[in-house]
Amino acid sequence: MPITQLTAEDLILFEEDIATEFNAGMIRAPVHLYYGCEQSMLDVFENVRPQDWVLCSWRSHYQSLLKGVPPAEVKAEIMAGRSITLCFPEYRVLSSAIVTGILPIATGIALGIKRRGGSEKVWCFLGEMTAETGTAYESIKYATNHDLPVHFVVEDNGKSVCTDTRKTWNQEKLTWEDTSHPKVTYYRYETKYPHAGAGVRVQF
Amino acid sequence: MDWLAQDPRVMFLGQAVEYAGTAMTNTLKDVPREKLLEMPVDEELQMGITTGLALDGSVPVSIYPRWNFLLLATNQLVSHLDKIHTMSRGGYAPKAIIRTGIGSERPLHPGHQHVGDYTEAFRLMCKWVEVIRLDEPEQIFPAYEKALLREDGRSTLIVEWGDYYSEK
Repeated sequence: MPITQLTAEDLILFEEDIATEFNAGMIRAPVHLYYGCEQSMLDVFENVRPQDWVLCSWRSHYQSLLKGVPPAEVKAEIMAGRSITLCFPEYRVLSSAIVTGILPIATGIALGIKRRGGSEKVWCFLGEMTAETGTAYESIKYATNHDLPVHFVVEDNGKSVCTDTRKTWNQEKLTWEDTSHPKVTYYRYETKYPHAGAGVRVQF
Repeated sequence: MDWLAQDPRVMFLGQAVEYAGTAMTNTLKDVPREKLLEMPVDEELQMGITTGLALDGSVPVSIYPRWNFLLLATNQLVSHLDKIHTMSRGGYAPKAIIRTGIGSERPLHPGHQHVGDYTEAFRLMCKWVEVIRLDEPEQIFPAYEKALLREDGRSTLIVEWGDYYSEK
């Protein structure tokens, strides 16, 4: 039973609203919008419970909404310029705008849960470029070998900012593509939004 | 360390924590074994895990025997542990104790990659983590006492002098 009853359409409409606000110059900070991964995200959140942690990168609107943060509260934080590091402690949502930053922290929270015998789980979202880094390899290896209650969700939109991930690594098939791992979910999607912003250059 | 270990929230992690290896190991010899967690040599991962443990409610004492090793965890220390409280507008307040040392130069000089003291640089980089350097023995207990008992939500980075283990 998911935490919210939000649909794919609800998620898309939320981001479109934020895009409109951004393009109108109403948000004086970067926003990183999702599009095209709604069903994959809804599938992941079928298994996320209220007591679980959700750790994200700079793109975290969908996760915050699906973890149960009221849409008005999420929007208020975005309008206040905090989209890039959304944090909702009462909902156990934590984000970092630094590549790989959240992975070792997710691992540590999971280690703490296991050491005290807790039942919570940590869900950690990362992009495909992050997933190719040493920090990702180390965090997933440590979490797997110690069987920590954490699950990593690799979201592949093919790009790191505007850089082609596969081209830079000279690697057609990425590490987690078409693999099966008990602690990793991988999905690929195509977005209609740029890395940051919503398509209109906004001069402040 | 024995006094810190009496607090049920406290655990110690790092390299040469469960195993012999550094001067700091000796300071943990009377700490109950279940409180010690040996880590892989992976400074960035260790600091992130430290922050995660603190977010979960532990007070981790994260040990980096030398400043030069701690440099490898700078991203997690400066951009995460030091910033999470601000990023979350006070909602998250991970309390960790980071313990590092200025490498000893006597009787053996271990080379220039092992004797750095970056205390002032990290004081400039950290806005929320308090950096305390222990220059005299009488500073030791008050510094660790403050680090453990503080209620302002801040973490503490405590710097020890390797040469003083035998000289002071």
